Amino acid sequence: MNRVIEYLIIAGSWLCGIVLVGSIFCIIGYLFFKGAAAVNLSLIFGRTNPIDAILLKKQVFNGIFPAIAGTFSLVVLSVALAVPAGLASGIYLAEYAQNSTKKVLSLFFDILAGIPSIVIGLFGFSLAVFLHKNYSDRIYPCLLISGISLAFLVLPYIIRTTQVSLESLPMQTRLTAVALGATKLQNIFYVLLPQSLSGIVSGVILAVGRCAEDTAVIMLTGVVASAGVPKSLFSHYEALPFYIFYISSQYADTQELLSGYGASIILLFLCAFLFLIAFAIQKRLCYQMLYRV
Amino acid sequence: MRTKSVLVFICLMFGFVTAASAASLDVFKDQKGEIKIAGGTAHIPVMKAAAEQIMSLNPDIQISIAGGGSGVGIKQVGEGLVNIGNSGRKPTDEEIQKYGLKLFKWALDGVAVVVHPKNAVKALTKAQIKDIFAGKTDNWKALGGTDKAITVYTRDEASGTREVFWEKAVDKGDITPKANVVVSNGAMKSAIANDPYGIGYVSVGHIDESVLPVALDGVVPTIETVKQGTYIVSRGLFSNTKGEPAGLTKLFIDYLFTPEGQKIIEANGFIPVK
Amino acid sequence: MTKAFETVLEKTFFFFALASAGVVILIFGFMLVLGLPLIKGGLFFGLLTQPWSPHHGVFGIYQMIAGTLAIALLSVIFAFPLSLGCAALISVLAPPIFAGFLRKVVQMMTGIPTVVFGFVGIFLLIPIVREVFNGGGMCILSAVIMLTLLISPTMILFFSESFDRVPKSYINAVDSLGGTRVQKLLYVILPCSRKGILTGLMLALGRAFGDTLIALMLAGNAVQMPGSLLDSARTLTAHIALVIAADYESLEFKSIFACGITLYLFTTVLILMLRASERKEKP
Repeated sequence: MNRVIEYLIIAGSWLCGIVLVGSIFCIIGYLFFKGAAAVNLSLIFGRTNPIDAILLKKQVFNGIFPAIAGTFSLVVLSVALAVPAGLASGIYLAEYAQNSTKKVLSLFFDILAGIPSIVIGLFGFSLAVFLHKNYSDRIYPCLLISGISLAFLVLPYIIRTTQVSLESLPMQTRLTAVALGATKLQNIFYVLLPQSLSGIVSGVILAVGRCAEDTAVIMLTGVVASAGVPKSLFSHYEALPFYIFYISSQYADTQELLSGYGASIILLFLCAFLFLIAFAIQKRLCYQMLYRV
Repeated sequence: MRTKSVLVFICLMFGFVTAASAASLDVFKDQKGEIKIAGGTAHIPVMKAAAEQIMSLNPDIQISIAGGGSGVGIKQVGEGLVNIGNSGRKPTDEEIQKYGLKLFKWALDGVAVVVHPKNAVKALTKAQIKDIFAGKTDNWKALGGTDKAITVYTRDEASGTREVFWEKAVDKGDITPKANVVVSNGAMKSAIANDPYGIGYVSVGHIDESVLPVALDGVVPTIETVKQGTYIVSRGLFSNTKGEPAGLTKLFIDYLFTPEGQKIIEANGFIPVK
Repeated sequence: MTKAFETVLEKTFFFFALASAGVVILIFGFMLVLGLPLIKGGLFFGLLTQPWSPHHGVFGIYQMIAGTLAIALLSVIFAFPLSLGCAALISVLAPPIFAGFLRKVVQMMTGIPTVVFGFVGIFLLIPIVREVFNGGGMCILSAVIMLTLLISPTMILFFSESFDRVPKSYINAVDSLGGTRVQKLLYVILPCSRKGILTGLMLALGRAFGDTLIALMLAGNAVQMPGSLLDSARTLTAHIALVIAADYESLEFKSIFACGITLYLFTTVLILMLRASERKEKP
């Protein structure tokens, strides 16, 4: 083989690596250079006393506390909705389903995983309008609708991680308890699930990360520019990624722009941290779960 | 002695002002609940400031403010999805009838053509503006500027600002499909502030040192020229409700017409209307 | 645990699996029902070929389809060699220390929120593009650059994982024949992981196709047929986000369901193709 081509390939690969690492360091470096000074307590709480804000005694203005609170409620809500359904479906797929059923069902989950998030958002929005018109005047695009839509978004993650980590258990682990007289269900709950916990947990962490960073779904289902801390499931709310999106195009002054940088740094760290944890727990599984928009 | 009396006077004034502002807000004291506001993006700063006043007095009230544009405001309030739908244009008779809207016009505003502050082009005729937005003039050189391509910015279809601009500034002429589309007055302002070769249009109340308003046929769009009526691309800012407003919604709209509410409107660059 | 309880739980699991699968149909059903007037009137295919011009009562989406295709395909074309190179570095070419470092960086990149890419794109990338290429800055190129960075990490991890799955014995064979690292890569590893590469590529295309924020924030959103990299363009996804505000009864609003259906069908076809290619490879 031609030496020159060989060197070209090596050089090309190194160039790719340098371009990638370089641009990512540019992005993060730029954020820090511009925004590191903005990350402090007043970015989050504005002029309000932090303790009063956390105890919800006072509303926070000029701070991102309501957005953080909104994102937090959203994540808790959608993960709480998605985890039970996802676990149950994953267990069914791995342990009970016949081969043909399994094929059909996993095709469905693959499609669900592939649907662009804005389409899920559009679905959530139509659902809200539909319910509003036909059932109750009290239903609008709101926290609950966003929570449900996001739960649909992350459902395939949890199903897949549960299924794959159950299926990848060695035969030995699978059979021991059964040989000792355990029923199928006992085997699942006392042996198989605990054994595949790391995979399931990393799936849930990825789901949390996805919920925290998603903007397209919530944009259509009830997030607003200013709302304060959400009071109920039927309120509008603020969210961190939407706040960043909003500031990026309509900051009123440099102070507001600066808080956009600050919010970006906070969200970046939150998500990168979550993903790295998920990878540390269960590397291989995560790769397959990453393809979501 | 003199200083003392001045001091007393100041104290009295201060006491008077706080008493007055407390009086405007007093009605919110024992209230509880949520007001949902959506629509016109020119309105957002005023809505935010009013909401801040009300919510810091009484944390039990939640006021949510979304943009979307005038079209959204009118439709969402009509469908009952929000309590107040703002619009930067008067809702059409058809819309008023279809949804049973009640209109509250609380400010006067204009729509100004804006460019980057460094742009040498500071005045344009109506014909020139029409040509620029139709895409017929595509270089600043033709208008006495530098030899750079013009980037035209426009708003989305739901925008009332677009509607007013389209009707009164370009006489319902075409707007080039090559134009970049942004979704709010705030976004338009920051897009132009960041683009040395951009041109767009924005609510007069939103203009600050980051963008340069362009004189239209010799009249510089400012809050004064809008007030005098010499600047022709003017409009009202409306808050609309479905039917007669009640409860918190009514209190909120009434608040906009109190002296303190009017002060907020003025501070945000609009002309308050009674 | 009694037998009855076991059966009840099994049924519960089955119910959840069925319900989760039902979501897929529910979402499509909603799109179909709400977009029905379009399909019934034979308008659906009309919309795919008509331009978007609300003032003239025409609500076609073909410019948006073109915008989506241009941005998605270009970013995959940019990202593919980049990812292949990086994956080769991680799995074969780079010394272990740098490979480990690169892998960590790439893993961390997968966690960067889309909106942060968009945010930095607006304030860092667009001014650069504007100065260098003399234009508005908000254009296909800007969106493609950021989207490339967004889809590359997942592709890299996917590729390097399929590189690592190549049987050790093959690698040892090359080594014992005195093959260089590049020969190993070109003649053994790449051919053996052809399937993995194809899968990664298609998934990345799906992701690029469905992205909303990057295009919405950086591509300029002009409704026109994209003619060059520096043209402003609007994608289907951004179009949904921009038009969601319209009157629910209007044709304008209905047309976004045409966008939704198009996006939905595209991803479904992509998944089916993936499935088919997997089946072909199996025996």
